[in-house]
Amino acid sequence: MPMIPWFNNLPLWVTAVPLLGALALLFVPKAKRRVFELGALAIALLDFILCVPLWFQYDRSTAAVQWVTQMDWIPSIGVKFSIGMDGISLVLFLLTTFIGAIAVWCSFTAITERFKEFYIWLLVMQFTMLGVFICQDMFLFYLFWEIMLVPMYFLIAIWGGPQKLYAAIKLFLYTLAGGVLMLVGILAIYFLQYKTTGTYDLSIASFHNMAGAISQQTQAFQVLLCLSFFLGFAIKVPMFPFHTWLPDAHVQAPTAGSVILAGILLKMGTYGFVRFLLPIFPDILPTLMPWFLTLTIIGVVYGALVAMIQKDMKKLVAYSSVSHLGLCMLGLFALNPNGIMGGMFQMINHGISTSGLFLIVGIVYERRHVRMIADFGGLSKNMPIYATVFMIMTMSSIGLPGLNGFIGEFAILQGAFQAKPWWAVVATSGIILGAAYMLWLYQRVMFGKLDDINANMKDLNAREIAYFAPLVLACFWIGLRPAPIMKVLEKPIENLVMQINPDFYKGQDLEQIKADAAQLGIGAMEAPEREDDVEVPIQYPYQQDEDEIGEAPQTQEESLDDDGEAGSGGR
Amino acid sequence: MPFAQALWESLARDSRLVTPVILLWLAGTLMLWPLGSLLLKRMPKDRWAFFTVAILLLSGWFVINTPNAIGFADMFRVDGVTKGFQILCIAAGILTVALGRQQLGALKEHSVEYYSLIIFSISGMLLLVGATDLVSIYFAVELMALCVYILVGYLRTQERAVEASIKYFLLGAFSSGILLFGISLIFAATGGTTTNLERLGQAIALAPGNQDLLVFSGVLMVLIGFAFKVAAVPFHMWSPDAYEGAPTPVTAFMSMAPKAAALAAFIRIFGTGFNGVAENWIAPLSFIAAASMILGNIAAFKQQSIKRMLAYSSIGHVGYMLLGVLAMDSQAGAQAVWFYMMTYLFMQAGAFAIVIYLQGANEGERIEDFKGLAKRRPLLAFAMMVFMLSLAGIPPLLGFFSKFYLFRLAIIEGYITLTVIALLTSAAAAYYYLNVVAQMYFKEPGEAAPPPVCICTKAIVALCSAVLLVGTAFGPWIMDWVGKIVWG
Repeated sequence: MPMIPWFNNLPLWVTAVPLLGALALLFVPKAKRRVFELGALAIALLDFILCVPLWFQYDRSTAAVQWVTQMDWIPSIGVKFSIGMDGISLVLFLLTTFIGAIAVWCSFTAITERFKEFYIWLLVMQFTMLGVFICQDMFLFYLFWEIMLVPMYFLIAIWGGPQKLYAAIKLFLYTLAGGVLMLVGILAIYFLQYKTTGTYDLSIASFHNMAGAISQQTQAFQVLLCLSFFLGFAIKVPMFPFHTWLPDAHVQAPTAGSVILAGILLKMGTYGFVRFLLPIFPDILPTLMPWFLTLTIIGVVYGALVAMIQKDMKKLVAYSSVSHLGLCMLGLFALNPNGIMGGMFQMINHGISTSGLFLIVGIVYERRHVRMIADFGGLSKNMPIYATVFMIMTMSSIGLPGLNGFIGEFAILQGAFQAKPWWAVVATSGIILGAAYMLWLYQRVMFGKLDDINANMKDLNAREIAYFAPLVLACFWIGLRPAPIMKVLEKPIENLVMQINPDFYKGQDLEQIKADAAQLGIGAMEAPEREDDVEVPIQYPYQQDEDEIGEAPQTQEESLDDDGEAGSGGR
Repeated sequence: MPFAQALWESLARDSRLVTPVILLWLAGTLMLWPLGSLLLKRMPKDRWAFFTVAILLLSGWFVINTPNAIGFADMFRVDGVTKGFQILCIAAGILTVALGRQQLGALKEHSVEYYSLIIFSISGMLLLVGATDLVSIYFAVELMALCVYILVGYLRTQERAVEASIKYFLLGAFSSGILLFGISLIFAATGGTTTNLERLGQAIALAPGNQDLLVFSGVLMVLIGFAFKVAAVPFHMWSPDAYEGAPTPVTAFMSMAPKAAALAAFIRIFGTGFNGVAENWIAPLSFIAAASMILGNIAAFKQQSIKRMLAYSSIGHVGYMLLGVLAMDSQAGAQAVWFYMMTYLFMQAGAFAIVIYLQGANEGERIEDFKGLAKRRPLLAFAMMVFMLSLAGIPPLLGFFSKFYLFRLAIIEGYITLTVIALLTSAAAAYYYLNVVAQMYFKEPGEAAPPPVCICTKAIVALCSAVLLVGTAFGPWIMDWVGKIVWG
């Protein structure tokens, strides 16, 4: 086996497989529809299977980036070809290959023209999304972040609904505008780095290390810098009021496009927050947090309220995404392990359950070519399997205990109550509204009078059951045994909280939180074992207040000692 | 006679700096007489295309082998910047000739004069990028521009071509007057001592203090003159009309070669000559750059004609490149602009190749003509998509990388607001570039059968799209070239 550094890098191969597959499909004659369908499915499944060993190889005892491969690419401007993943990337990486395979599988009958281009774009799309999660260099990240738009543009604009061109260009321009603002931010940090350290380096780790230097700048500069990143990610998430592209894109996109969009693309934004915005700007976050939280909460409630009045099933699910991702953002903005853990779970759960809901809408749309809720009714009578799957996905979406949605929502609210109780109270109303609109949707579509047209609709066939089965399994698996995923996320999140909110682990009430959490059966983070003389290099404005109290240092030490013992005892 | 001998000696010594120019002059003159009109009169006219390409290649070889030196009483300088931009101009010339051969043949408009005008115009550009004296700059600008005025009106039977040519000529002559007036004011401000760029800074600094207004108005007028030459807002009015009226190969030529040459001179004048009086031109130039980005990109939105759209988009691109002129570090600025211009050359040449292919022998050039191209000619449509996305600066195409490199410099130089404007307008620009893509991919083709693709078009499109597609992956090599060519 050749000793080239990248040859043995499995994640790199996983990323490359869809692209290589797409290139191979390029040479198949246009008319061979079956070859494209099965070929693309085989490639996507192979990709997922290749991914499985990663889950077992991943070293859960460290927050370090793993499977690192690094090569100089353009040394004169500090661009490296640098890849690797930590737990946060890993779960999203796995989710991408998982949803990617399902997106291919669900398109066999839905796509009736230009299938060659369709499957090629779908595979290219998967390549770029995997690239975003795997790269460890800002240049590469930006590259993948923007390339992603091109396949999505085509997926919507060729195979979409009646307003497809408008929706596609709106998605493209909106996201591009956010992206270029982020590029300004990246370049500004890059230049600041040159001023402080004298080197040009675009690696993500070096950007994280810039947090200290950024905190030395004027407040206005920090705010602008932070906002440039915020806009880029918030448009992608999408947070209120940048969400207007989402309903259009979802409603017009073909089912596979919606699945990819909801399942993975939106996670790019939240991933961006976790990976970049939070760790790079820990210092300015407290200043901006009220604004961010306000937008988040508006998103949660507004998304839910608007979803409630929708007449189009797909639009309803699209607005529910706004609400659910608002919850996810609330968890991340809690800046404590529970909140961030919940946010990560919400990303995965939303990926699974909302993809499932879009597939469910896609099923009836394929059969009747309408999506209005009013056109349906009583479907549970002639489509029992469909009704069951729909029920499970609905329950997963509204967070029924035992299914995946519950884990995320619970942890988010737990984290939010620790940090900002009142915000959490308001957010809870979003969850209640969520239950209302989803159940109402279910009721209107599934129960009531069955008319003749609807009575002729066939239940799920074998292929449809086959692609719903993994989603349903995943719902139950995460809902009943979230611990393995928590274990993967634990150390990276701990590391993240150390970066963004080091005071969390110093607090007196840590023991209390842990006790509470143990009682509830949700694992709160253990404090990291730290040497007492390790000091956090960044001076925080509110640290002074603590010192003024006088007895704070002593209690801090005590609690740290206790933590250390508890931690080692636990193992 | 010692004077004559000294003159002869310096001419003999310095002429090696301009061997490519002399070669082009000789070839251009010989083509007009006696070759074209006497000896090879019966030769098919399109053979002259091959002859021109050969001459241009030869001159390119001379350019590479010219030693770095300064000559002609410090009026002409060969260094990395000169060579780099000279190569760009020659490459643009070669691409233009290759682009135009088929269409001119279809229009039965081949003539020797067309090719010799291109050659003369390129010789002017070669002089312009190396000129280091306001006077030699002015001469070179005029040589370059006069030939282009004629080329714009080359299809003399078409009304719009003649109109465009006259409009371009009148406004061009007017701006040359302003440029010349500015030069004379600068000359006066230095106390009538020098017009040499290297010594200008010192001479202005030594001039009596009450001459601030003289310097300011002089610098401003030179700025206006050059803003006109590169078609920057608000001196861009001529460009959409001239682009639309000119034969399409000439449009391609205008959007590549004169821009490259004028930008090189722009950097030389403002980066070297006026560096000391930067406070006089930073603000106006920033305004011009910002206005070009905004207006160029916004005005392109509603265009029906692809040539007008590309004209407005090129105004926008000039706005971006002016960021490189604004850089205080003129070497870094020249590097970034060179790289951008090189990428731009490939994008424009490729895009115009496809426009010319669609035009065939007709004059139509509506964006609608692109509809359904993806069904008819999938490869051409894909290439056009690459050009459009690259112009819009979507990664990983080379257009993105050159933008990244340019904006990186702008941020380093502290022009954050301008960079934000540049990036936002480039995002907005994606709208009209994607409009072309949408026409090709999402609309049904018309009835008429598509014409065959000629080998020249194929070659140019393949070359350009390949460079743009894989260029970023070869970033380190490109950076090496940029370093080598521009640092000399």
